[in-house]
Amino acid sequence: MKEIFRITIGLTISCLVAAVIMGSVFAITDKAKKHNEHVNVQDTMLGLLGFNKDKPAPRDLRFFSIYRYTLDDSGATRLAYMVPVLDGGKEKYELVVITPAGEFVERFPLKINPEAANEGHERELALRSVLRPSTGLSFADSAILAVKGKERLAYLLPSEFPGFKTFIKVILALDPMFTVIGLEIMEHEEDPGLGAEIVQPYFKHQFRGKSFDRLRELKVIKEPLPDEYKTALEKKAPDKGGLSKADLETLRDKYRDEDIYAITGATISSNAVTSGVINAAKKFSYRLKTLEKVIAAQRLAVSF
Amino acid sequence: MKARKKTNSELFFNGILNENPIFRLALSMCPAVGISTTVMNGVLLGTAVLFVQVFSSCTIAAIKNYIHPRIRIPTYTLTIATWVTVIDLMLAAYVPEAYKEMGIFVKLIVAFAIITMRLETFACRNPVGASFWDGIGMGLGFTFGMMALGLVRELLGMGTILGYDVLGFRPLLFFVLPAAGFFCVGLMMAIFNYMEIVYNRRKKV
Repeated sequence: MKEIFRITIGLTISCLVAAVIMGSVFAITDKAKKHNEHVNVQDTMLGLLGFNKDKPAPRDLRFFSIYRYTLDDSGATRLAYMVPVLDGGKEKYELVVITPAGEFVERFPLKINPEAANEGHERELALRSVLRPSTGLSFADSAILAVKGKERLAYLLPSEFPGFKTFIKVILALDPMFTVIGLEIMEHEEDPGLGAEIVQPYFKHQFRGKSFDRLRELKVIKEPLPDEYKTALEKKAPDKGGLSKADLETLRDKYRDEDIYAITGATISSNAVTSGVINAAKKFSYRLKTLEKVIAAQRLAVSF
Repeated sequence: MKARKKTNSELFFNGILNENPIFRLALSMCPAVGISTTVMNGVLLGTAVLFVQVFSSCTIAAIKNYIHPRIRIPTYTLTIATWVTVIDLMLAAYVPEAYKEMGIFVKLIVAFAIITMRLETFACRNPVGASFWDGIGMGLGFTFGMMALGLVRELLGMGTILGYDVLGFRPLLFFVLPAAGFFCVGLMMAIFNYMEIVYNRRKKV
């Protein structure tokens, strides 16, 4: 009996010590980690729009986020969009609740600082304060609108879908006509050398320039990637065995309407990314159209 | 137990050659087979293992007298998990570039047999200094093994080394697939054993 007691105490103390160490390291590093993730996402979004260190983003480029929630209002499903609005020159968020079919239900101004809206729990607090307490609330996804001056540049869609092993997180960039500008893989745990090749330019850049109508019909084909197409996708400098700008353009035009060439040995990962991209684009275009109708009917002074 | 105490340099080289975790002890075969597809993977995973091994070995060596023998395994696991978490969080916060590459490997280390095994057979019977050198040797031995496997598999499977195109074509894609990991480990083990036989024969003559 005494022995059991000692073992229990020993294990409890070790667990407590470990918990204290891990907890304190988490507390110290959490802020820096979140900051890094934020910077990483920002850089990726700018990169997708074609801006980098050599070509800095213009000053009037701004990002606006729309957050989508699903509500369960005593059995009835509702969609709730947190939309950035301009109220007397100040930026605010407004909550627009609609039915899945796109009919307007209600709207509430939200008391949330636009900067704090990045944080999931801050948003939840603001939403809870306006919704009836019995309403079920769950976060669905977000979309980011890149606006330069008054002109809409692109839609950036953070998206998540199952890959071969676990979830693949991506950001998909679409232009205002829903043509793909680019795709960036943020997180994945596919097999190195096989599924992990989805991060390689020769795969992810295949989506570039696909129009919305083409994208809806896009398939994955199990054929070897033509060498010239691969060089064009990898976009190496001309002196490093790459192609000149004019050649690149002709090749891009040649392969613009091509299907997606699967990665050798990783058909499942290739399929997963392709269908994930198609779904994200299709659903977003439908949702945006519905939301814009509501916004127009309600005369919402949206900031984008 | 041992005839004489080993010096630090002997402990260090012990992990790299005589008791190489992959080729001689045949431990941590999962990562050896699964992740050794490129040289870079080997380097990254090896470095991560090196840190976790050294920190865990030193911790266990320092607190070995307080651990109840019945619960030593849970304590080892807890120690390893704590260090893995700490390293994971630190990397994510302060070295985001490295974390981008290493992130998925670091979390795997909790379940590596080699670390638990070194704690059980070495760190819990030896002082902190010796455990430190043993940890470094084992970590480097593991890195070396992973790199050697990665070199063969990357070259034969993808025709590249460290991502640079050397061959210009892919000789045998099969080598990137997990099954080829077993072949590579087996062949490397055979080479290691053969070298040992030759070495011992020469010593006798």
